[in-house]
Amino acid sequence: MRPLRKIALGLAAALVAAAPLAAQVQSYKDIKTPALHPLKIEQPKRIQLANGMVIFLLEDHELPLIRGSARIRGGGRDVPADKVGLISILGESWRTGGTESKTGDQLDDLLEARAARLETSGSDDSTTVGFNLLKGDFDFVFPLFVDLLQHPAFRQEKIDLAKTRLNTTISRRNDDPAGIANREAIRLAYGAESVYARDDEYATVAAVTRDDVLAFHKRFVHPNNIILGMVGDFDAAAMEQKLRAAFESWPKGPQASRVAPSDIHPAKPGVYFIGKDDVTQSNIAIVGPGIVRNNPDWYAVAIMNEIFGGGFSSRLLNEIRSNRGLAYAVGGGISAPYDHPGVFRTAMGTKANTTIESVDALRGEINKLVEKPITAQEVADAKEAILNAFVFTFDSKQKLLNQQMLLEFYGYPSDYFQRYAANIEKVTPADVERVAKKYISPNQLAVLVVGKEKDFEKPLSSLGEVQKIDITIPEPGQKPGAKAAAPAASNAEGVALAKKVRDFVGGQAKIDAVKATRSTGTMSVKTPAGPMEMEFDNLMQYPDSHRNVMKTPMGEVTMIVTPDVAYMSGPMGTQDMPGSQTTAMRNDSRADLLTVLRNIDKPGYTFTVTGTEKVGDVNAQVLEIGTGASTMKWYIDPSSGKLLRKVSQGRQGEVITEYTEWKTFGGLNLPVTFTITAGGQPAGGGKINVIEVNPTVDPKVFEKPATK
Amino acid sequence: MKKLSVFFMLLALALPLAAQDLASIEKRVTVKKLDNGLTVIVMERPEAPVFSFATMVNVGGAQEVPGITGLAHMFEHMAFKGTDKVGTTDSAAEQAALQKVEVAYAAYDRARRDPINHDEAKIAELEKSWKSAIDAANKYVVANEFTKILQRAGATGINAFTSNDETGYFYSLPSNRVELWAYLDSERFLHPVFREFYKERDVVFEERRMRTESNPFGRLMEQELATAFTAHPYGQPVVGWPSDLHTFSATDAAAFYKKYYVPANMVIAVVGDVKSAEVMPLIEKYFGRLPKAPAPEPLRTVEPPQKAERTVVLRETSQPIYLEGYHRGSATDPDAAVYSTIAGILSQGRTSRLYRSLVRDKKIAANVSSFEAFPGDKYPTLFAFFGIPTAGHSASDLVEPIHAEIDRLRNEDVTPEELQSVKTRAKAALLRQLDSNFGMALQLASYQNRYGDWRELFQEVDKIDKVTAADIRRVANAMFTPENRTIGMIESTKKASAAAPKGDAK
Repeated sequence: MRPLRKIALGLAAALVAAAPLAAQVQSYKDIKTPALHPLKIEQPKRIQLANGMVIFLLEDHELPLIRGSARIRGGGRDVPADKVGLISILGESWRTGGTESKTGDQLDDLLEARAARLETSGSDDSTTVGFNLLKGDFDFVFPLFVDLLQHPAFRQEKIDLAKTRLNTTISRRNDDPAGIANREAIRLAYGAESVYARDDEYATVAAVTRDDVLAFHKRFVHPNNIILGMVGDFDAAAMEQKLRAAFESWPKGPQASRVAPSDIHPAKPGVYFIGKDDVTQSNIAIVGPGIVRNNPDWYAVAIMNEIFGGGFSSRLLNEIRSNRGLAYAVGGGISAPYDHPGVFRTAMGTKANTTIESVDALRGEINKLVEKPITAQEVADAKEAILNAFVFTFDSKQKLLNQQMLLEFYGYPSDYFQRYAANIEKVTPADVERVAKKYISPNQLAVLVVGKEKDFEKPLSSLGEVQKIDITIPEPGQKPGAKAAAPAASNAEGVALAKKVRDFVGGQAKIDAVKATRSTGTMSVKTPAGPMEMEFDNLMQYPDSHRNVMKTPMGEVTMIVTPDVAYMSGPMGTQDMPGSQTTAMRNDSRADLLTVLRNIDKPGYTFTVTGTEKVGDVNAQVLEIGTGASTMKWYIDPSSGKLLRKVSQGRQGEVITEYTEWKTFGGLNLPVTFTITAGGQPAGGGKINVIEVNPTVDPKVFEKPATK
Repeated sequence: MKKLSVFFMLLALALPLAAQDLASIEKRVTVKKLDNGLTVIVMERPEAPVFSFATMVNVGGAQEVPGITGLAHMFEHMAFKGTDKVGTTDSAAEQAALQKVEVAYAAYDRARRDPINHDEAKIAELEKSWKSAIDAANKYVVANEFTKILQRAGATGINAFTSNDETGYFYSLPSNRVELWAYLDSERFLHPVFREFYKERDVVFEERRMRTESNPFGRLMEQELATAFTAHPYGQPVVGWPSDLHTFSATDAAAFYKKYYVPANMVIAVVGDVKSAEVMPLIEKYFGRLPKAPAPEPLRTVEPPQKAERTVVLRETSQPIYLEGYHRGSATDPDAAVYSTIAGILSQGRTSRLYRSLVRDKKIAANVSSFEAFPGDKYPTLFAFFGIPTAGHSASDLVEPIHAEIDRLRNEDVTPEELQSVKTRAKAALLRQLDSNFGMALQLASYQNRYGDWRELFQEVDKIDKVTAADIRRVANAMFTPENRTIGMIESTKKASAAAPKGDAK
């Protein structure tokens, strides 16, 4: 090889000698930018098997390697609250627990001797079985991959090992202050019990059994829930044949839900504090709600993020780090996950005696973003940066494969990333200013400080009332969640106002006598394909059983949730309701009008009057209600006690229900006509024709429906 | 080009893996030493119209002496502050103002550190003058202009690092910006301006608070190294001791820069959609301007042999961590490949001895690993073990089981299967690095710096391939002795809450 290299060197030297030395460059602006070499984007081939499995194949012959992964719908969100941790345990023991024919230890020996990797993992919305191997090992490893995917053994001793390791992680979660700040900021943004924020606890880890893990695998691992992607040194046509041979005969199973739970309950705005005495630096986070990626405002938000907290040119870095020397790490912006709202978050670390100064500095930057105009130059610079760096989106085959798998998983158009640049280009400074105002409400944010208060330059209370968050790790026997940041206690005014509503509806005696209600009517729901009309038949058996039958154009759907069971049944068959949806439905039941009114004096519910606001001509009083699972606001006519409007948090943001007509059934005054606005958009409405109070309820209606 | 290399790989299937990779890569790599002593490596990888570079300077924490610890890292931060043309509204006026800052700081600093005549009023007055001199100089600053220009050009991954051994600068750009990179990054080292030095010193101190003071791993590592090394600068923290971070000046930084940032002490690697014949002249045009200067004198201090076992225990409220280190040779030691092989057998993957014993069977560690070189490898360093006890176990519970595995290595030959498995994985790991412009740029520059030849990246695998069971016993017996050992532990003053339950079978 040496002569070759010498020739190359010689050639380079000759060129240098021949090239006329360009005129001396005085400024970077003098440097010309030639046209970029064309970017070849080779998309993976998409194949869908008859059983629903989606496959992406992309050849990449640079190195003799093959990498692949199967992403399977169903993840941590589908785990019930008392078994949080199941997905981590499954993610580890799926691989270490081996297959029916080989133990995990045997797999370790076979694979590591070949430098082949075959690993499993779990996340919030999916699980993954992936491999990375030398192409010569493909025919040896591929059958192991298929076996592991379809026939894992989850041996008990490996489940136990995974639990021991997970408990160790739990025991250490309060050691690193940045870790505490990240975790607790997310809990403030989503609500501590939200599927997007909840934590593994000793008790929930202990509750997970091998049967739970096997049941989870059985429920989700079906070809119609799997996206398999492969990239590497193979012939795509030949690979397709191998994959067809391996997977075509695999029968379809129940479909996993593709709807993200709307389980978001942000903490009240204010100042939250966690004491930690073995640190010299305070960690600060300021959080509020974010958006979903499919929001058309995302492109303007992306530019706002770049200006506000993106990298070395951002306002946060310039002001907090470079100009004031307050932090090493500082950043922020609005996140936008693909199927549920993200969070707005700014975070930094600063020495204890500049803690209050830093909170003020961060707040100042947030206010400036909303109140002061964003300059055309800032927007132009941010666009230039994003567009010039855009080529890096497509600079490897692995990235191209990952993108198609991601878009397929979340149901986005396959050209989403190709169109990205054009969408960024369209954004105007006015758009950026509009989205900053729309999505960031400076006085609605939660401020979290983790640190040693004794060393702060002034008391934290100089920022306002401080709520302490207890992060003591619950003992193994303790029920998790007991220590969540508690909502404000009721105020007397709030309880009185709630009682006024109770009187308007019919009074305590009549309401307490209600055993069940059955409402039938029609409603209209806005969908991307236009309005969808449906009939409903909604049975509430107090205190906590709920059955809803909906006749939709696609067929009849029944949902049943009791304290013991949760089913859904529809044209596709009957199945257990996903954990997240069950939680959502149970939370909805707790927010039901009569349920709330039955619980005014009971623990678990809180009632606080927060102010007055106009609803139409009425000066309505705003009653904030904590149900223990969520918070909502009732807008009440104070003269009559009539409920005019309800505001709650849904997947698309704020959900506003206006009650426009009330009627009397069985001595109770109840709302029958309603309209719904979600995330600022009309979302539908409905009319109840009849409400039966205390109908005869056959207990069988809460049993698992037979498959039709 | 791409087809050719694939064709070559197919032809070469019979060759040992590493040699085959080296041959294929070597065809795409050009190395040139410029007249000023700067070494440049270009690797053509036209997969996409982008490139990455790494500039590796042969200076790190190990070049610091007491009083200036943290200065190599401080300079790394200053290298983002711009030049005489970038980051200023008036270079000449700014230079004059910065001179005044240095004069004022020297006066203030001497007064506050005077051990006898400690005049608080005088100190306050001098501090005020220094701060007003800073304010005067700040008037000329265009904040972060250097990085802003790069970001607008589409740069990603703009960053740098300082280790005990070296300082690295890197980012990636679309490939039509090669000349912009060559210009800006040569200017950065040709005409650096130490503006906003004292504010950036505060930023660096925050980095120390974050990584070291407020983090249990950081606290333990600092104590372990300070205990294991008594003479060699590997015992000093790269981020610097607090007193030095509060004291050193831009004048100190300038002297450090002048001594170590000379072309003979630097290597640049460029990898991606570039043609060596086109990019080499550009690099020569711009980086060739760096003035030639003698390479700095090699380090004098060598850590003397350790004569007694040392232990350092941190009693904290955080959960226990275990660390132990044994002195070993440097990266250029003839046994370097043996150290790597031992680390592979002990802690790589689920077949490794430490995993199977401590994690799988005894369930006393959630994780346990061994590091062949800690904290660096340019100079004689430590072979280290690192363990996370499972909830309810103390750090000292790991001592005996780790030593049992060490004794096995000393007393019995490793099996041929274990040895072969490590060798196979070393080759595959090398191969898996080759598909990243950034990763390759970093590796090529780093190996060139450390060994004087980037090919060592590939030859290292061949050396591992030659390691025998006898080598492992010989090295294990020489290295793993009690008197060569330093143990560092965090023991928790607070028991893991209720000795968290073990995984219980149901």
